Parts: sequence; C-alpha cells; structure tokens
Amino acid sequence: MTFSYFWSILFLSLHAMVPITLTAAGEVVGETAGLFNIGLEGILLLSAFTGALGAEAGGWWLGLLVGIGTGTVVGLFFGLINAYWKGNQLITGVGINLFALGFVAFGLQALGTPGFHDIPREARLPALQTPVGGLSPLVFVALLMPFLIHWFLNRTRAGLWVRAVGENPEAADVAGVPVELVRLLATTFGAALAGLSGAYMSVSWMGSVTKEMAAGRGFIALATVVFSGLRPILTLVGGFIFGFFDSLATWIANIPGVKEIVPWQFVSMIPYIATLLVVTGVIGRARFPKALGVPYRRE
Amino acid sequence: MPEPLLRAEGIVKVYADGTVALKGVDFEVRPGEIQGLLGENGAGKTTLTKIMSGLLHPTAGRIFIGGEPVRLRSPRDALERGIGMVHQHFALVDTFTSLENIALGTGLPLGPSLRHSVTELMERTGLKVPLDTPVENLAVGERQRVEILKVLSRKVKVLILDEPTSVLTPVETDELFGFLRRLKEERVGIVFITHKLREVMEITDRITVLRRGEVVGEVETRKTSAEELARMMVGEEIRIRGRRPVELRTELGEEARREAARARGKPVLVVEGLRVKGDGGDEAVKGVSFEIYPGEIFGIAGVEGNGQTELVEAICGLRGGTGSVLLKGREVLGLSPLELYRLGLAHIPEDRWKYGLILSFTVAENSILGRQRSPDFLGSLSILRWGRVFSHARELIRRFSIQAPGLEAPAKSLSGGNQQKLIVGRELSKEPEVVVAAQPTRGLDIGAAEYIRDILLEMRDGGKAILLVSADLDEVLALSDRVAFMYEGTFTAVTTPSEVDREKAGLYMGGVKA
Amino acid sequence: MRRLYASLRSVAESLLAAVVGFVVAGIILKAWGYSPISAYISLFKASFTDLYGFSGALANATPLILTALTFAMATRAGLFNIGAEGQMYLGALAAVAASLFKLPAGLHLIVALVFAALAGVLWALIPAVLRATRGVSEVISTIMFNWISRYLAFWLVANVLVDPYRAEKTITVLPTSRFPTLIRGTDLSYALFLALAAAAVIYFLLWHTVTGYEMRAAGENPFAARYGGVKSGKVIILVFLLGGITAGLAGATQSLGRPPTYAVYSGLPQILNLGFDGIGVAMIGRNHPLGIIFAAIFYGGLQSGARVMQLFAKIPLEMVRVVQGVIVLALALPELLRIFRLFRRRKLLEAKREGE
Repeated sequence: MTFSYFWSILFLSLHAMVPITLTAAGEVVGETAGLFNIGLEGILLLSAFTGALGAEAGGWWLGLLVGIGTGTVVGLFFGLINAYWKGNQLITGVGINLFALGFVAFGLQALGTPGFHDIPREARLPALQTPVGGLSPLVFVALLMPFLIHWFLNRTRAGLWVRAVGENPEAADVAGVPVELVRLLATTFGAALAGLSGAYMSVSWMGSVTKEMAAGRGFIALATVVFSGLRPILTLVGGFIFGFFDSLATWIANIPGVKEIVPWQFVSMIPYIATLLVVTGVIGRARFPKALGVPYRRE
Repeated sequence: MPEPLLRAEGIVKVYADGTVALKGVDFEVRPGEIQGLLGENGAGKTTLTKIMSGLLHPTAGRIFIGGEPVRLRSPRDALERGIGMVHQHFALVDTFTSLENIALGTGLPLGPSLRHSVTELMERTGLKVPLDTPVENLAVGERQRVEILKVLSRKVKVLILDEPTSVLTPVETDELFGFLRRLKEERVGIVFITHKLREVMEITDRITVLRRGEVVGEVETRKTSAEELARMMVGEEIRIRGRRPVELRTELGEEARREAARARGKPVLVVEGLRVKGDGGDEAVKGVSFEIYPGEIFGIAGVEGNGQTELVEAICGLRGGTGSVLLKGREVLGLSPLELYRLGLAHIPEDRWKYGLILSFTVAENSILGRQRSPDFLGSLSILRWGRVFSHARELIRRFSIQAPGLEAPAKSLSGGNQQKLIVGRELSKEPEVVVAAQPTRGLDIGAAEYIRDILLEMRDGGKAILLVSADLDEVLALSDRVAFMYEGTFTAVTTPSEVDREKAGLYMGGVKA
Repeated sequence: MRRLYASLRSVAESLLAAVVGFVVAGIILKAWGYSPISAYISLFKASFTDLYGFSGALANATPLILTALTFAMATRAGLFNIGAEGQMYLGALAAVAASLFKLPAGLHLIVALVFAALAGVLWALIPAVLRATRGVSEVISTIMFNWISRYLAFWLVANVLVDPYRAEKTITVLPTSRFPTLIRGTDLSYALFLALAAAAVIYFLLWHTVTGYEMRAAGENPFAARYGGVKSGKVIILVFLLGGITAGLAGATQSLGRPPTYAVYSGLPQILNLGFDGIGVAMIGRNHPLGIIFAAIFYGGLQSGARVMQLFAKIPLEMVRVVQGVIVLALALPELLRIFRLFRRRKLLEAKREGE
C-alpha cells in the first residue's frame, strides 16, 4: 500500500468516525444516567437538515449551532417525557425517528429538491488543509470529546451524580440528588452531541442533505456504546473501527480491479456486519447501570 | 425541658392501595438523647421514619423542626434541615468507592479538599473505612460505616438509624454503640429503630413502642424491662375472631393431633441444614432444619428481614441454596417452580404482584397460571378451551367468595383480599400436598384475612402439610400446630403455641434463645 | 363490560394522539407557508369518499397490516422487534424468485408465498437466537439486519433476479404467481384477504391458544410467567419466527399483488419503509390485530391521499410521515389519557366533598 493510500484511508476513516464517536460518547452520558435513547438516528437526520438550513442562512458556524440546538430541543423533549413523566423510552425513540424521516423528506420537497439538497460551498465548514489532505476541524473535537466526558464522569461531582442516578436512583434520591433533573440533563447532552454530529455530516463532511442520510449511524452509535461498555474513551476505538469500514466501502468502490470482483453492495454491508459481530461478542463483558431503561418512582 | 429537635404531630399515612400504616402518631426527638423506636413488622416504624426523612409524604399531620412547622418535600429537604437517615438496606451505590458514596451526600466537589474533610470526619467520629475500595467489596459493617459517614458529612441534628445492627457482628455492634454515645455528647438527637429488645435496653434513653400504626407506650429505658416491652410490642388482647384463644388450647388436644400426624406416616417436607444467601451476598438463612407432617400447620414467626423470605424462596424454587430439602423423600432443592408444582408443592407468594398474579391479565387468565398446559384446559393444537377455563374460574370465585367485577376483569381491579383469594384458590386447585404460605394475610382487611385463615385450617384438616410464614404473631400462634421463631437466619425456638405466651414470643422474636 | 371500557379507552387514546398529530403537523405546515385546512381536506377526500380512493387505501393497508403484526406480536411478548423491514425485502424477492420456474396457477402463488415466508423466517432466525441465547439486544441486531438485508436486496435485484431486458428491475412475476385483482381497475388484490387472515390467525393465536397465553404472560410479567412455567427462550424464538412469516408475506403482497408492474425495482421503491411504517401502525393500533387493521387503513388512506394532496394542494406528500411520527410520540406519553382521568377524579372529589 503506498503512502498516499494510507493517508487517504486514514482521513476518510477519521471523517466517518466523527458522527459515530460524538454521538456514542454523548449517549454514554445518557445511558450512564439510565436513559436509553434510540431516537439518535432521528436526531442525526433532523439536525443534518436543520444544520444545513442554518449554514445557508448564516455560515457554517450557525449551521453547527442550529444542529446542536436541534439536538438539545429533542433531547429535552425526550428527557421530559421519560425522566419526569415516566414514559416509554423505546416508543419515544421510535417516534422521534419516524418524525425525523417525515420532516426531513417533507422539508427537502418543500425546498424544491425532493430527496436531496446541496449546500453551497460558502456555507460549508472549510477543511483544514494538511500536506496530505483536507481534515475537518470537527475531527479534533471528536477526538477530544471522549476524554472530556471521561474526565467529567469520573472526576467531577456532577459526573458522580450522573453515575449514581443510573446505578441506584434510590440511593441518589436519598442522598439529596435531584434524580429526574440529572437524567434530563444527561440525555439532553447526549442528544446535543448527536445534533452536532448531524450538522457535521451535512455542513462539514458531505456537503449535502439526503433523505436517508443517517443510514443507520444512530444505531451504529448505540452499538458502539455497547462495545465501549460505557467507557467513553472506548467510543473512540469503536467509532474508528466503524469509520474505517464505512470508508472502506467508498474506497473499494473506486479502486479499479477490486470493483469488478467484489460487488459494492456487499462492501456496503460490512459496517453493519461488523457492528453485529462486535455487539454479539461483547455482551456479557460489559456492565450496564442497574437502572438503565427503568423509570424511577419514589415510594 | 429542652425544645425537641423534631416533633411529629398526628401523623397519618394511608397508602395508595388503602393500607393504613399510621393512625395518628406523635413523636419527638430531643437533643443529646437516644430514642428507641420499637415494634413488630407493619407497626409503622419504617413508614414513620421515611416520613420524617422526607421520602414519603404524610396523609395528615404536621412536622415541626426546632419548633417551626415544615413541609418535607424530598430527602434533600430533610437533609438540608439536618435530618439524616441511615437505611436498613443501605442506600449505597455498589460500584462507587466509599469516598464517592460519601461525596454523593455532601455538597463538595471531588478533589483533595473532599478527601481531607472526609479523613477529618473519620478521625472525629472514630468510624474508619478504606476510602478507595468499591463498597460492594466491603464487609457489611464497613458499608454501614460508609452509610453513616455519608449522613454525618452533612452536619445533621437528627440521626435516624433503621435496624442498624441487623447486619452487624457483636463486635461491630459494640463499636457502633460507642460511636452513638459519642454522638450523644454532641447534642445530636438519635432515633434507633429496632425490634431487638436487649439492644434497645442497652443503648437508648427513652423508648417509644408502636403497634399497628399507633403509639402504645412511651417509657424511660431505665424504668422498664425487656418483658414489659415485649408485652407492649405484641399486645394483650387476642384479635382473631373465632379462634380458640391460644391460652385455652389444651396440651391434650395438641398432643393428640401430633400423634395423629405422626401416625399418618413420614413427614412430607424435610428441610435440613438449609443455607441461603441473600441479595447482598451475605447468608440470610444460616442453617435451618425442620420437618412438616401431613395434616399440620408449621408456622414460622418472626419480624420480617430475619431470613424468612429467603427461606421460602429457596424451598419454592425461586432462589438457590445449599443443604437439603426433601419433598416426599425426593431432593428438590434447586428445582424450578413448575417442577415443584408437579411434585405437589404449591406456593402462596409473599410478593403477590411480582410472582402471584399478572395484574393486567383477567381473573380467568390468572386462575390458570401455572396450569395452562394441563389437559383440563388444553384442547387440540394447543388451543385453550376458554369454556373450561371460565368454569374453573367461576368455581374458584364461588368456592372462595371472590368479589370480582367479572371473569374478564383485570386482576388489578380486584381488592387486595380478593386478589389473594384468587391466588390461594388457584394454588389449591393444583391439589398440592404441601402448601407454603408466605405472609398470606399481609395488607388484607379483617374479613379477607379471616377467610384466608379459615381456608388454611381447612387445608390442614384435609391432610395437607402447610408451612406458614408470617410476621403477624397472633396469626401464627392461632393457626399453627407447631411454631418456630426465626431470628437472624436461625430458629431461636421451636415449640408449640400452647407453650408460648405473649411475653416469651416477644423475647424469642427479639433474639433471646429458648 | 370492563373489557369493553378498557378497549374504548385505548381507542380514545389513539384518537386523541391522532388529533394531536394533525394539529402539530398543521402548525408545521403553517410555518412553511401551506394551508393545513386545504391539505387535510384533499388528504381525506381522496381516500375516504369514493370507492376508487378507498380501494387505494386498502391496497396500501395490506402490507402494513402484516408488518405491524410482526412488531405487535413481539411487543406483546415483551420484545422490541423492528426487523420487519429487512425480512420484508427478502420476502418480496423470494416471492419473485418463484417465478424463475413455471407452475400451474394457484399452486404457483402458494409456492411463492411459502418462499416469502421462509425468507422472512430465515432472516429473523439469527437475531432471535442471539437474543435467546446471548441476550443480545434485538433492537440493535434487527436494525443491523435491516441494513444488511437492504444491500443484499439491491444486489439480488441487480444481479440474480434481474430482468434481462430491463436492468433496473427484476424479472416480472408470472401471471400464474400473481394475486388476482379484487376490484377491476384498482391496485387492490386478494392479498388483502391474506393480510386479514393473518390478523385473524394471530388474534386467535394470542388469545385462544396456550402458546399465545404464555407469550402474553412473558410480556406482561416475566417473573410471574417464569413462575408459571413459561420458558422464555422458547417464547422469544417463536415470536421472532412468526414475525418473520408475516413480514416475509408482507413483501410478497407487494411483488405479487401490485399492478401493473408485478416486479421489484432497483432501489426498492414500492417496499421501502413499509416495515418501519408498520411499527407506527402497530402502535396506533395498540398492538391488537383489530386495532392494527383500522390503523393500517388509516395510514394507507393517508398515504394515497398524500399523493392527491401533493397534486392539488401542492403540499409535499411526506407530510403524512410527519403526522405519523407525531402520533407515535403522542402515544408515548403515558400522561395522555391521564388528563382525562384527572378531570374525572377531580369531579369525583368535588362530588364527594359536597356530599360530606
């Protein structure tokens, strides 16, 4: 493999890693607090769209901000229903996914370009140019975030609260921790990061919005969370693995010779098969918070 | 007389399902005093203290702190006002270290200053724990110390301890008492909840006795005795209608029945050296042996939390254990509930809503739970013959006078008593030879409770062997042919009801061995 | 009588959620500059006022009933099976594969259906086993299988089943293997009866057989169920396999029952998202076969009405999915009907107080 191949694969993988790692790292916080958000897929899609709109209105920084905001709003909604009102987390998540599918498709059509929308160059986040290729600044955010989250969960009092609330909400309640508030904030944070990831996908990485842009990444992020055993730093590893397979498909599809032998469809399957294998192999090793997915009621 | 730190006035608590836990209780905590709160299960001790610590809201009544009326909305509220509670089942996060658990209670951020203040606290109170070990790896006594440190780190004026010595060794108990005496000197008011008579005599200054949600006595410790306390705890009158009072049962009648049972042959259920681990990993049942003959009721009395639950679960296939359980001569320890049912054991579970019923299922559907694959109800192609199920359910309703809106009503719409009758009826329809009844009348109104007791007696007269586990002493004494008292995982006494008076019963239940 | 009241309450909840869905979607429409009123008028007029429109609704409802059953059955057993989508793709293609050889009419259709059911079952098998033996979350495994199935389907359409004359579609399903049309000139075929029959069978299974009893018990109270002798591993496998059958058949109704094409196009346009929509249908139908039938007709009507709405009111048809999403979200709120109950209880309390 030549030198330039190495860099291009690396960069492709890093770019593909960003949404997975960011979303997974954020969801680690949410799941540590005990809430399981399968609506991440929907948030990715939704914020990819709203982020694109924001970027066109006011530049890439607005786009990213709008994306984060979208995630935050959805996160608050999810947290309200599930932390305070003891709703059904799975149904809420599915609802978010359905809504996002509809809203984005609707929005794209309403914009006049059904199914697909390009973002003009000026609105995109410019890549940092290195001698070996362009790298989005958000890659560095994604590389840094897991460490920040690790520090937060393990070295701050707030992080202690988050861990307590997911492991034994009763003990936390008795100790005076506002259980529902902590859960709400934790899940909102995770959703906000997912929002950033979505905006990244449209504004920085792909430069466009499509109807099915998330392509299962929200669920891959969930699988990454499983893989990481709720250890934030491992979401980097997991994210990179999936990013690698993700970019492998693009790469293979463009190499003469390989293209003829291996049908692109099978290559596209690889990230999902890999996820499946990882999740199967890892179960039992990971230890999840005892109160994950269980609403907390006093008395 | 100094102003009490905390005063509760006229506290009434009625739970959502209608149970009346407290019927108007007055209670005071004074500074520099250790006050004991004594009572059997269901007396209301834990409910009262949960209200005082902000976990529950009273249905009526008021709380005064330092003379001012307050509304405690949450444990946080209570903590901020200086009321701290150390729970019986520790409110600790197992995966956290001691330091992290203590930090949970304080307002301090993690870091060197926290470690410093905790170390200082440990010095001051004399309670030492390893700070960086996950609490799940600590011994029980150490875990309790973590719990206490957690509460103390918040500068409490009132410290409530719920059954603190139930998990401690004698040495650890002494250490705890030493600490409590030191705390007294700091003018903290301490509430010590227990059912252990010797201890309450040793450590407290005053004792309040609760019975069935009411205060039945308040005495100074040095002016009373274990016997008097035992009497107050279990009461003088016999409340069970229609039973011959225990005192009136003649020795002769008992002996005759025992002879008849033995004449019928071998014991149906033989338990030997049974040891069962509890949820926390400690042994809850520490070597129990007994046998039950057909046509008799063997009762196990005792305050809840002394291993009865685990004992029943091990016998009925819901929990593992070591030792031996022979059902009709066959070793059954470790078999599943279904296999046990096929061998002739029926179980009226303590946790009605978890194991006994499927609340959202209809009365008819619940009436066959466990028997759904029996040929009585099964047609060809695994079709359920609802016609037969309905008549079976109707029969149960008739035989046990179950009040239900209809066969298709969800089980959750039935009252507690009727739910229990449904469960009892269903278990009996399995035609078992051994029936294990765990807390069968808990939470039921008088009429339903009486009904269930009558059924148990009927079963006994019909030749079944019954293991009755109940925290209701009157019930156990009135129904059993032989009775054992359970305390901290073993039997303190095995005797017959006629040989036990109220006082002795109280003593056995409180840990005094026969 | 109680049961009737409980069912009415479920219906009321779904209706209330539907209203919320339309209101919220209406707000979104307004925000984008469209008129909600004209949107909804054309939406409903199309599907529910004439026979042609209604037959379109029924045709759309057919696969939805089946995929909804997949999800609903699993939910009743306490599982979250969202794999209908992937199982359905393969079912559709397996049904097409039956046209690779010739058989007499009638028999051909049955064989095709069997193929489809088998495909669904095989695809559901692995997630089921993973869940039963290793406790692998079926949420993640079924989603991964959905995506793997999608790409597999793309490949099959383009390579194995491809029409030698028109590369963008599979071979056309032979006339002997098709569902006969129910109403001439419409999309509606006898596949509808297959879906209705499946719903009836599932209903019967769940409430009139021991197997169904045990499934429901495991879903409602796994502890008491275990105590009553229900083996959870068996339940899991069975529920997934049955779900695979209905999902596979759903795919078959589309490839065998949709005039005039009777084939599957690359990109899977006629079958895309039917599995996912089925989840929404199941939720609105409260996971009950009868409710599912009504919810499916409702959805189906919305879907065909959406096209009309796009034509006449110039509103993007994807708006219906927005409605669907909001309805599901509304159903997630346990408090939804508690609002009703709060009013009732307050009235009771007031009455009581007055009586004292």
